[in-house]
Amino acid sequence: MTNLTKRTHWVVRITHWINVIALPLMVASGLRIFNAYPGFARKGESFCCYPFEGKPIPAALTFGGWLAGARHWHFAVMWVLVVNALVYLGFLYLHGEWRELAPRRGDVRRAWQMIEFYGFAIKEHPHQGKHNALQKAAYFAMPIVAAIIVLSGIAIWKPVQLHWLTMIFGGYVWARYVHFMAMILLVLLVLGHVFMVFAVDPYAMRSMITGWYDEDLAPEARNARPFYHLLPRRRSPGDRSPPAVTGNG
Amino acid sequence: MMTQRVRDERSLIDRRRFLALAATGTVAALVGCDSFGSRRLEPALAAAERGNEKVERLLFRHRSEDRIPGGARLSGNAFPQYYVSDTVPMWDEATSGVWRLEVSGAVRQPLSLGLEDLVKMPRVAQSVDHFCVEGWTARAQWIGVRVSDLARAAGITDDAQYVDFQSFDSDYHESWDMASAMHPQTLVAYAMDGRYLGAGHGAPARVHSPVKLGYKNTKYLTKVVFMPRRNGGYWTDRGYEWYAGT
Repeated sequence: MTNLTKRTHWVVRITHWINVIALPLMVASGLRIFNAYPGFARKGESFCCYPFEGKPIPAALTFGGWLAGARHWHFAVMWVLVVNALVYLGFLYLHGEWRELAPRRGDVRRAWQMIEFYGFAIKEHPHQGKHNALQKAAYFAMPIVAAIIVLSGIAIWKPVQLHWLTMIFGGYVWARYVHFMAMILLVLLVLGHVFMVFAVDPYAMRSMITGWYDEDLAPEARNARPFYHLLPRRRSPGDRSPPAVTGNG
Repeated sequence: MMTQRVRDERSLIDRRRFLALAATGTVAALVGCDSFGSRRLEPALAAAERGNEKVERLLFRHRSEDRIPGGARLSGNAFPQYYVSDTVPMWDEATSGVWRLEVSGAVRQPLSLGLEDLVKMPRVAQSVDHFCVEGWTARAQWIGVRVSDLARAAGITDDAQYVDFQSFDSDYHESWDMASAMHPQTLVAYAMDGRYLGAGHGAPARVHSPVKLGYKNTKYLTKVVFMPRRNGGYWTDRGYEWYAGT
């Protein structure tokens, strides 16, 4: 009764789980660095666009213990994440899998349909390929946001030697702000992703670990919304769909 | 039969979700929570710091200078005043005699310069950023003498690979790589925003340069010592990175 397909390449699986470990380390050490001066205003000036100026991040969300420790972690783990991202993106390019994530004509409409479906405005799960349109948008956005984080990070690491890069972000203060806000955006994308895995497609965990995915358990096959139809669809005697083909024939 | 199968599947899902949640929770517990991280990974962090220093030295150019927009507001009184001693360090002429700056070490002609000697040397005025390791920045105009001019006046030898900037703020000092010290924006500054340095800003003279983080910019300067080897520094010895270039 299973319909297993090889879905997730080992390169994607390994880079994914490296991210699972390294990204929280990077975020938490960054928050500890931020807490040394939890604001954005240059001395003697004010900053327009951060409502929590001067309020530190709760220590439980930070990592590194103190400013210097957090900086050592931040400046070490950054290489892990950058190399990991380059391996992942290089694989997507060479293996052609970027096609599954690149935006296509009609994706906005399909994404809106997904929102309507999740909001019970549509009864049947919109037809999808490997990912639904919302997933595609999230997975396409993540490397772009990550690239903004890396570039703004370099801009505040080297504001004199790479002055031109810092100026692209509008100077040191704004580069630091972009670095922080893009991190928030990436964290939100990741939290949304993790929530949807548990609420809609926990069976995807199998493919991210072993690579194998049971297409009969895909959200489209289950007509699954968050916390709806988490279990496989049962075939009742009155089910008019054709019986599944077994492998014994 | 049917209910039995469904229950099995549900328990399977629950177990799978439980494992996933447990894994997530473990990661969350390892990360964050104000942790210092594993001690066993410290050699890896030290190796990363050495690698980063190589990258930073490779990126370093004397032509890359910090520029702030013309007419930009300076920080003025908001420029933080800081030191490591318990009270503001003040040069006491009664016990220590007249303040003089010593330029020594790997030089042919050691110098001992009074404040008036410094003022007579070629003068540079620059409005630049000050990048603190904590993440804040401040702007001020500094007047002083280029460290490269001091090096030329003292005649540094081939042994001069590093410079130590020492102070009378307890045992505060920080050593620099030669390239950063010879950057045209690295000054021994004696005036800030058009006035001689105040006690809170490192009087009578301090190092100021936008090419290094604030803590490398020794205040309350007493000695500029050229050396064949680096000798750490106050914050460097306490765990902050030594290079700290911007």
